[in-house]
Amino acid sequence: MKAVVITNNLKVKQKYDKEYDVEFVDGSLLDVLITVRDRIHEGHKLLTHPLTGSVKPNETPYKSVLISCDKGDLDLDSLLMISSNIETAQKFINIKKPIEWKEKILADFMEIDLDLINSGIESMQQ
Amino acid sequence: MRLELGNIFIKDVQFGDSTKVEGGVLYINKDEMLKEIGGDEHIKSIDIDITRPGDEVRITPVKDVIEPRVKVEGSGAIFPGTVNKVTTVGSGRTHALKNVAVVTAGRIVGFQEGIIDMSGPGAEYTPFSELNNVVVVADVVDGLKQHAHEEAVRMVGFKAAAYLGEAGREVTPDEVKVYETEPLLDSVKKYPDLPKVGYVYMLQTQGLLHDTYVYGVDAKKIVPTIIYPTEVMDGAIVSGNCVSACDKNPTYVHMNNPIIEDLYEKHGKELNFVGVIITNENVYLADKMRSSDWSAKLAGFLGLDGAIVSQEGFGNPDTDLIMNCVKVENEGIKTVIVTDEYAGRDGASQSLADADPKADAVVTNGNANEVIVLPPMKKIIGSTDYVDTIAGGFAGSLREDGSIEVEIQAITASTNEVGFVKLSSKGF
Repeated sequence: MKAVVITNNLKVKQKYDKEYDVEFVDGSLLDVLITVRDRIHEGHKLLTHPLTGSVKPNETPYKSVLISCDKGDLDLDSLLMISSNIETAQKFINIKKPIEWKEKILADFMEIDLDLINSGIESMQQ
Repeated sequence: MRLELGNIFIKDVQFGDSTKVEGGVLYINKDEMLKEIGGDEHIKSIDIDITRPGDEVRITPVKDVIEPRVKVEGSGAIFPGTVNKVTTVGSGRTHALKNVAVVTAGRIVGFQEGIIDMSGPGAEYTPFSELNNVVVVADVVDGLKQHAHEEAVRMVGFKAAAYLGEAGREVTPDEVKVYETEPLLDSVKKYPDLPKVGYVYMLQTQGLLHDTYVYGVDAKKIVPTIIYPTEVMDGAIVSGNCVSACDKNPTYVHMNNPIIEDLYEKHGKELNFVGVIITNENVYLADKMRSSDWSAKLAGFLGLDGAIVSQEGFGNPDTDLIMNCVKVENEGIKTVIVTDEYAGRDGASQSLADADPKADAVVTNGNANEVIVLPPMKKIIGSTDYVDTIAGGFAGSLREDGSIEVEIQAITASTNEVGFVKLSSKGF
């Protein structure tokens, strides 16, 4: 199945750049979610849940989401989900802004995010 | 399937010359235990510590909590498919060392979380402060990748719990509880007037530190299926360690799932507890659709009148929870969902990331965003290097005097979503 990976995680980009269409977002977790929302408005569908994992949106700076390559009519289910997830992420960020992590911890966050999207891609490939 | 669970109440845990239970005390030969649980090429060193309720001790970061058990009769052995053969468990007799837990602690990734305070205000938020904890801290070889690290620590925990459980093999239990689930048709025939109730048991399955294993199988790769509740008591479901301390089920919670306990308590009296459907919480949306369809299909197939649906974790599992609830309701089955909340520090925000009018019976286990100040402790087991980076902790949360200001989501099992919690509310 063809898919687009929207991510701000370099490890995800490095792993999937050759196989998939990777849209790298040079920005925050929220920027990734907003980019996903924009693509859904263009007719793409969500393939993975945007709130992957229990690491909260104000803890991890990284997010990767899988959307369909094909475009069609606006998918309302996808739009409702991403809109509600953006609200949830904003709620957490309003409680406490993400802090500037040390490089070692950033690398761990990247690894967790990579693993979460790996499991989505593995499911898709089955 | 019928299981006798022999509970051996342990009053204290001490290091001694041999590992045994005597006079209600669990003695541990530390050298022997280290030898039994070590040997993994990925593990550099292991230390074992004991801490008791009331001690001025903080255990952090906690990765898993496991109850020592041993199978003394019936097929299979404890933790099938992980540290023992994959033979089906859940029948015969099992002995459990009560008031004791193996706690694995130590760093797997830098922003680890998970606090168990053995005294003070934090102790009020975790049920594990009431246990005599045998804390196992494993250091791994340099350069080990996170996946291998997680697996090594996970296995050390199960080996430790199985090793200590053996000490209860020949001990006469203080009490024996009997749990029995009969074949569906027999059960329906036996209790024709009681409502048939089942349990949809959601397992977190998304990736590293978000995983659960069933008979050794990574549960993200299963389709929903039926399991006898007594299989769960024998360690058929285990945790793949955690990155969300408050609402990831430690293995101890699977073994002592209070929803299963309570349903058995009412079985044959108020209701007919016919079985458990296990399902997963994957990140791929088609998996969520398939799993919730199958959970509902199985609930219909069992002819349920009512179902309890419990969640595990934050965020995307809210979607699985609501999908399960709605689809089971659409089968004409009444549901109650069990969850926790992220409702902001004042508790006023939207609690879940998903909702539906059909989810009209909800049990909550608390607001994980609630803030607490944990006073300094005399002794730390594990590490405090990473407390600043604990979920819910913010920069500067570790104060100079050693106290920590955190959201309760950093405390192990504080808002556990099968109800294994200390928080409660009362109406007056």
